Amino acid sequence: MAIGLKAVEQLATDQSSLKAAAGLAKPAKWSGVGGSADGALIWGECAGSGANPYRVMADLRDLGNKCTCPSRKFPCKHVLGLLWLNAESIVPFVPADTPAWVSDWLGRRRGPSAARPPGAAAPSGEKDLHVARNVEPEAVEDPKDIARREAQAAKRNEDTERAILDALDALEQWIGDQLRLGLSGFIDDATARCRRIAARLVDGKAAALAGRIDELPARLLALAAGDRPRGTVVELAKLVLLARAFRATPRDAEIRRAVATSETRETVLADPRAPRIDAPWEVLAEQVQTRRDGLVSQTTWLLNLATSGPRFAILLDFFPASAGRRGSVFTPGERFQGELVFYPSQQPFRALLVRRDAADDTSALEWPVPDGSLSDALTRPLLAEPWAIELPLLLPQGRIARDDSGSAWWRSADGTATLPVAGNAEGLLSGTELTRTAAIWSGNRLTILAAQSTWGRIGGHV
Amino acid sequence: MSETAKAEEIFETMGAIVTRWTMGSTAASAASFWRTELGDDPVEAELRLLALSGQFLGATVMAEAPSTLRILPDIPTLALPTVPEALRPLVCRILAASKDTVSRTELVHFLAARGWTTHPADWMPDASDEDAPDVYALWRDWAAFTAAGETTRRQTGDQLTADNWDDFWPAARKAALIGLRRRDPSAARALLEAKLGSENAEARLRLVSLLSERLSGDDVAFLESLAANDRAPKVKALATSMLARLGHGPAAGEDIAELAGFFAVKTKGLLRRSRVIDFQTPKTPAQWQRRKALLDGTDLTSFAGALGLTPQDLIAAWDWHVDPAADAGLIKLIVETGTDAQLAQAAGVVSELDATGLIAALAPRLGPAERARFAAAGLRAHGIGFEMAQVIAGVAARLDDPLAAPSGAKLLAGIRRDDAKPSDHAGEFRALGLLASQTAAQQTLQRLTAAGLLQGDPRLDMLRLNAALDDEGEKS
Repeated sequence: MAIGLKAVEQLATDQSSLKAAAGLAKPAKWSGVGGSADGALIWGECAGSGANPYRVMADLRDLGNKCTCPSRKFPCKHVLGLLWLNAESIVPFVPADTPAWVSDWLGRRRGPSAARPPGAAAPSGEKDLHVARNVEPEAVEDPKDIARREAQAAKRNEDTERAILDALDALEQWIGDQLRLGLSGFIDDATARCRRIAARLVDGKAAALAGRIDELPARLLALAAGDRPRGTVVELAKLVLLARAFRATPRDAEIRRAVATSETRETVLADPRAPRIDAPWEVLAEQVQTRRDGLVSQTTWLLNLATSGPRFAILLDFFPASAGRRGSVFTPGERFQGELVFYPSQQPFRALLVRRDAADDTSALEWPVPDGSLSDALTRPLLAEPWAIELPLLLPQGRIARDDSGSAWWRSADGTATLPVAGNAEGLLSGTELTRTAAIWSGNRLTILAAQSTWGRIGGHV
Repeated sequence: MSETAKAEEIFETMGAIVTRWTMGSTAASAASFWRTELGDDPVEAELRLLALSGQFLGATVMAEAPSTLRILPDIPTLALPTVPEALRPLVCRILAASKDTVSRTELVHFLAARGWTTHPADWMPDASDEDAPDVYALWRDWAAFTAAGETTRRQTGDQLTADNWDDFWPAARKAALIGLRRRDPSAARALLEAKLGSENAEARLRLVSLLSERLSGDDVAFLESLAANDRAPKVKALATSMLARLGHGPAAGEDIAELAGFFAVKTKGLLRRSRVIDFQTPKTPAQWQRRKALLDGTDLTSFAGALGLTPQDLIAAWDWHVDPAADAGLIKLIVETGTDAQLAQAAGVVSELDATGLIAALAPRLGPAERARFAAAGLRAHGIGFEMAQVIAGVAARLDDPLAAPSGAKLLAGIRRDDAKPSDHAGEFRALGLLASQTAAQQTLQRLTAAGLLQGDPRLDMLRLNAALDDEGEKS
């Protein structure tokens, strides 16, 4: 089944979509490109501005299409890019089994009426492929303009820093007030009090810190009532430490990420200090969550199956809830060889997916053994990053046990460690020896992402 | 002061510090060991103490495990293997797409009929899941004893006896009893006679229902004692219905004459005079209801006797399709109180007619081979849809070429329509997947994709599973 470029042109909503699609119609932007044996379906993964790639799929029979990006344009530039790749045979669409995510979409499609038939009238405005293809020559800039722009940027940076420092003063003042007013009152009224200081932090351009404080009451509520005073002290202490760290090194990218905003994908990709790791990865779990600030976070935890390198990676994207429900990008348990670039950090964890290879010889790899002792893994990261809330852990052989109230605990096979588990850990997870367990330790609870057992891989309860 | 001693001192003071803050008091004065670090400014000292205390509490203090932790036993391996690893994603997708318990139950029964079980990470039955295939008994019992707070499984022998009855958990006991009943019906009945009294009403009902396997005249005395003496009305009713199936219906009372009044036996034909039932159509809603209540309260032998017929003659003389409510009432009587032979006779007669609903009602008491035969006949001769055929056939049909039936042609035409939607006929495709033999599933997939369906179409999941799953099940 073949489509022509004319169809791509007609499908585009406007000239700018077409122009953006032209930019995406390059092999380097894509991975996992394939098609069904009958040639009717095509799919691929396109690197966008987020950490997770977008999954793009199209049905060539009626040009129905779907992309996991949050764009409101339909079709988006990624779909147009994929169709463009196909129309001009820029990359081979290798016939393959239809991936589950494409099948899922097929099952949910509303029908051909939802897609615009290829012959339909152009939706709006005049569009021209040739114009879209043209790369506009970069205008030669006046050195004075460059200097002025740089000066403006430096000024903006300084203003931001000043605003953040002011906001952090307000935060410390607020923390002092909570101590003076008594933490029992804070625990009872945490949501409203946190909301107020979070709003102040947003005004002060400390957006990441604001988001963290907005989620703080939920973390406290997850604790047993008797453990909440201790939990509050730990949470507020981490805020003080983070505020002090920022004051000491306001330009440190890692600390700035925790306080204000993260670097853009382009900045990380261009940063020579950002470690690039080409390794076999397993998708441990994926979580899509609506946060209190109205953003939806999409989190993907990856396990590095190679013998060395950062053991875990997290792909983190945020998008507004108004962009609608977003499909999963990965399937838990899925493995791939690929290159990740980590945000520069003392303990590289957050990453972006740079490239995902089509070759798949990762299925035989076993989960690695834990790198060090468990007590080390629980505390060492806090030396470098004392404000960290969640630590990824690879646990040695162990098993789920239950206490008298039915709560679950993970106990190591040698009996030296017993950690409380969040949630119920029911079914197979509690009825077999777990040879390895990947989990998130949040200082008081273990959230199991996935485990290995004699029954094979077991998904957690994220 | 050594490091350890200092740590211990800090640890012991932490309780007091947290308490002070909880109440809104200052705490710096309590932390004499950090006097230098905290400095002189009282406001700053509280924040510094907070930072240090938080780090200390976060890194060194965690919930202590109770000493009474119990480890659950291993989930046992079942008698049938789990589906091949490569097919697990497909099974998971079908499970996820199954919106109700009935369709999930159908899938696990289909797998069991083909000689497979689910992976325990994908699906496990609850302890109370009576509809789960018997092969899952060990998992049901695992769920039961983990919920009961026990840690070790009781030792059980292979053979269920009166002595080890209490050592078996309910699901395993049920499975063992079914096995025993198949091998030695009298021994199974004797076991029930000995142990039934100690079970609760619900369990008694389930256990007595197992007698329907190889039900025979030998069971009459036991069933009569249940019908007369059991404490639970449901158990009594079940025993009575089983007795009726054995031709030991209760003595007909006055009601039966009233019921007979709604019907008359006439003769027809000149040369070969045969009898036919004439329906005295009820005239008021109250009469309709009365007739239904009377039909519900009797048994086949008594009803036939009241009309001066044997049950066989009644079935032969019934004039089907004249009074659908009466048809349904008679079929219900046959299912609940008819012998196997009467049931087969009724199924034979009804299958000749265009009466799919009646066959479907009879199906649960028919063997898999007969069910498959009637489903195939319905598809071929009466143009029934695949979903209805699947209701008749159950999950162990293995039909050779279901798509060749008229419904197949209709389905193919449906997917070729211009206004076909991606969700059209999902139920029909699923039923096809449950009905077909493995070879037929492979051929059906080819024909459907040749007709324009995508290979990855999720509606074909059940067919794909059937086609890819080796048939290791017992063939009837």
